[in-house]
Amino acid sequence: MRTDYHGSSSPNITNFGRSILSMKRDPVVHSIDHETHYQDSEIEALQRQVTRRFHELSSVESHELLSVSWISKLLDVFLCCQEEFKAIIFNNKSVLSKQPMEKLISDYFERSVKGLDVCNAIRDGLEQIRQWQKQLEIVLCALDYQKPLGEGQIRRAKKALTDLEIGMLDEKESNTNLAHRNRSFGRYQKDSQRHNSLKHFRSLSWSVSRSWSASKQLQAIGNFFPPKTNEILATNGLAVAVYTMSCVFLFVMWALVAAIPCQDRGLQCHFNIPKSFIWGAPIHSLHERIMDEAKKRERRNTCGLLKEIHGIEKSASFMIELTDSIQFPIREEKEEEVRKQVEEMKIVYEGLKTGLDPLEKQVREAFHRIVKSRTEGLDLIARGNE
Amino acid sequence: MAENGEEKLIAVARHIARSLGHTDNAITDDILQIFSNFDGRFKEKLTGNLSGNDGGPALDQALKTIDRRVSRYLTVDEPIWSSSADASLFLAGVDELIALIREWSAMADEVAVTSCLDRAEDLLQRCMFRLEEEFKMLIVESAGNTVGGGGGAGGHLDSDSDEVEHDGFDEVDVPVAHPVTDYNIRIDALSSGMIEDLHEIAKRMLAAGYGKECSLAYSTCRRDFINESLSRLGFLGSQNSSGEDNDIEIEKWIKAINMAVRVFYPSEQRLCDRIFGYSSATAAAAGDLSFMDTCRVSTMELLNFANGIAMGSRSPERLFKILDVYEAVKDLLPEFEVLFSGHYCSLLKNEAIAVWKKLDESIRGIFVELENLISRDPVKTTVPGGGLHPITRYVMNYLRAACSRPTLEQVFDDNANRSSSSSSLSVQISWIMEVLERNLESKSRAYRDPALSSVFLMNNGRYIVKKVKDDELGVLVGDDWIRKQTSKVRQHHANYQRNSWHKILNSLKLDNSNLSSNVASKSLKDKLKLFNTQFDEICRTQSAWVIFDDQLREELKISVAGTLLPAYRNFLGRFHNLQDIGRYADKYVKFAIEDIEARIDDLFQATAMAGTGRK
Repeated sequence: MRTDYHGSSSPNITNFGRSILSMKRDPVVHSIDHETHYQDSEIEALQRQVTRRFHELSSVESHELLSVSWISKLLDVFLCCQEEFKAIIFNNKSVLSKQPMEKLISDYFERSVKGLDVCNAIRDGLEQIRQWQKQLEIVLCALDYQKPLGEGQIRRAKKALTDLEIGMLDEKESNTNLAHRNRSFGRYQKDSQRHNSLKHFRSLSWSVSRSWSASKQLQAIGNFFPPKTNEILATNGLAVAVYTMSCVFLFVMWALVAAIPCQDRGLQCHFNIPKSFIWGAPIHSLHERIMDEAKKRERRNTCGLLKEIHGIEKSASFMIELTDSIQFPIREEKEEEVRKQVEEMKIVYEGLKTGLDPLEKQVREAFHRIVKSRTEGLDLIARGNE
Repeated sequence: MAENGEEKLIAVARHIARSLGHTDNAITDDILQIFSNFDGRFKEKLTGNLSGNDGGPALDQALKTIDRRVSRYLTVDEPIWSSSADASLFLAGVDELIALIREWSAMADEVAVTSCLDRAEDLLQRCMFRLEEEFKMLIVESAGNTVGGGGGAGGHLDSDSDEVEHDGFDEVDVPVAHPVTDYNIRIDALSSGMIEDLHEIAKRMLAAGYGKECSLAYSTCRRDFINESLSRLGFLGSQNSSGEDNDIEIEKWIKAINMAVRVFYPSEQRLCDRIFGYSSATAAAAGDLSFMDTCRVSTMELLNFANGIAMGSRSPERLFKILDVYEAVKDLLPEFEVLFSGHYCSLLKNEAIAVWKKLDESIRGIFVELENLISRDPVKTTVPGGGLHPITRYVMNYLRAACSRPTLEQVFDDNANRSSSSSSLSVQISWIMEVLERNLESKSRAYRDPALSSVFLMNNGRYIVKKVKDDELGVLVGDDWIRKQTSKVRQHHANYQRNSWHKILNSLKLDNSNLSSNVASKSLKDKLKLFNTQFDEICRTQSAWVIFDDQLREELKISVAGTLLPAYRNFLGRFHNLQDIGRYADKYVKFAIEDIEARIDDLFQATAMAGTGRK
């Protein structure tokens, strides 16, 4: 019997030590005792996987934390964990339609729907970053000059930098305070087209609505508790799997919101994972590190904690300072400084150029997999009730 | 001699010009002009060879002239392009500036020239800044009305009316009112005059190396226009969280993607072509990049929707909706190839191809899932009376419906071209039938009575053949297959006959040996008794059996009657000849020939619903 169940394969599923495919070929399951033991090892395996991968994520250097590549790895971890979780659910479908399991899993799927909005908002945020990347490109075009820098080039760079600053400021404003967003259009009438374009961008029907709030979504996603002992027993340990996946999901969504610009980016989110769960430690540690980063003075008012955004902010503000301080005719030392800063900016730019497209693809993938996972899960529950 | 004199003359001329020009550069220009015109030889000698001491001042003068001409435009508040005369003058000044810089950059090896050049570049930047503002104003003005709401200025298509309004623009192609499914219309978003203006500005910005600013300004505005236009068609992106296919959403998407690829994007491409032009590699690249940036967000969003459909469940019911989406994408692929053939746009084209492949995969995955569903169908529960099993009905009707979609064959054939191990549709269908057959065979073994098993297989086999014949399915599986299946049904028929009636026919077997009349008589009487019981039993049992097909039922009855009646007649004949029977024959003979006939006629009368499930 051919199975094509998983679509794109995930190598981590075979970590079980036996192929998922072979398990599904035998719908007649083992005896009850064996079943319990088998479920335990599945759930343990999931937890070990989560522990291991989050340890990997948390043991990165500070310059890599919350970078585009790190976010990409995080999404990868999420997708893998979700596949494993799906497999566990599928293997234990007989338990699904009984309480308390049915409620636990249905609630999980409800929470996962909130993640879809987050994915859409993140996608918008990435698009916004792309616009900034274009401004950077102009700055580089102006300043990456073979000949001695003249006033014209400096002015050109400054204009692009100003546009960039305003863009990032607008993003900050609209993201932190919902009230600010209902500005009168009149204020922008005289201004250049960039404000209009921002406004229009927000009005895209396939973005999130104007009243959407990332922090509210996170609150909803975080609305669950560690499983009680009687729940664990009644569900043959599956409650632990649901809890594990819920925490992973929450963390991933939270980290995305923390990193990428989106509306109402509140970062208050508590992870109170009981010590009995070994994977809680790396998640807590990551949470702490990210919160520390958010509290840093230079990052407090940022529109997103993504390392590359910091890179843009830093190199842009250095460059603005630098160019402001230039007096013509430009002195050699000043020019040297500018060229150095250009090199810094190039690194940021190149990083974004290669990283953004694949990241956007991953976010879209995550969206679809969340939908698919939920549909299949709910289907299993419904079939169990027949 | 003459040369010497000439040189002296030239030197004097220059000296005069310079001294007089101390106070007013304009005079210097004029004087030099006069001298040049005086004698053609002077022209070269006076204006040529500007290196050395003459470089700086000459450039300086030229620059000052241009500065005078453009500066007033740089400071004015009103748009320069509100007056085409002003616009022309400004552009002429910019042209000169660009040409000047170009000319002098080649000779920029001394300080005087360099510092002049810096000022020139500075002036150029200010001009470019102004041009960028003008550009933005023009392009937003034309699209702005439509994005803001209402109005048709800009050739925007409203979902309320299918007509395009074109207030006050000349030379816009006038599309007639068209039905929604006709995408054979052309819209021109901006007026020719507007496009010309934008083109003139873009030309200079590109020439000055400010193409990126121009491209960014252009694509930001046009992108918003496209996105807004599409969302007004009702396409709301991938917001479907329920995971269920929504027919209305799919319809809207089909409309949106067709509008986008057949109407909007070509219009944008024409716009890019006309505004950026092909005069140089830079211009062409800027046009391609601008076009890509304009279309990227909406294209990805449209394709993402299709991707979501492809990633949904493999449940067989989804086939037809996925086919709709697949068809839409496939039909548009040639357009994608043409539209996004440029270097920057290739990622969009590739995305379309990737989505198409995913849809292809999901369709083939559905057949795998169908296979699984069939082979996993429980074999233990039986259909009462050996009738038609729901799965047979489901699969055959499903396959007929599926194969009525010509695209399905394309899905499997496309794949066959790519890799030899995958199947064409015929092979896939035959395989599904085989899986069904195997499952039915397993199911048939659940009946305790082998005769009933045969009836079950007859019924389902017959149904399959009927559904395949005279249908696209028949063409796919081929005549050979149909013949084989038909003969299988006949085989089941023969098995049934043997299993059910073998014993009872044995009872009617006549012994031709010479037994004493008493023994012979007793034997016949016993046999008849046995026959009566057996026949009664069979009839009772088999009247609850189902043969759904009228023709098949008749065939069976005829063949049963054809075997039983002659044997019985024969037997009765012998029986009536017994000497000790006489008028007591009626005591033993329960069934007259007519009765047998009537009872046989009553067989298989149960419908699938009424059967009482005797195994």
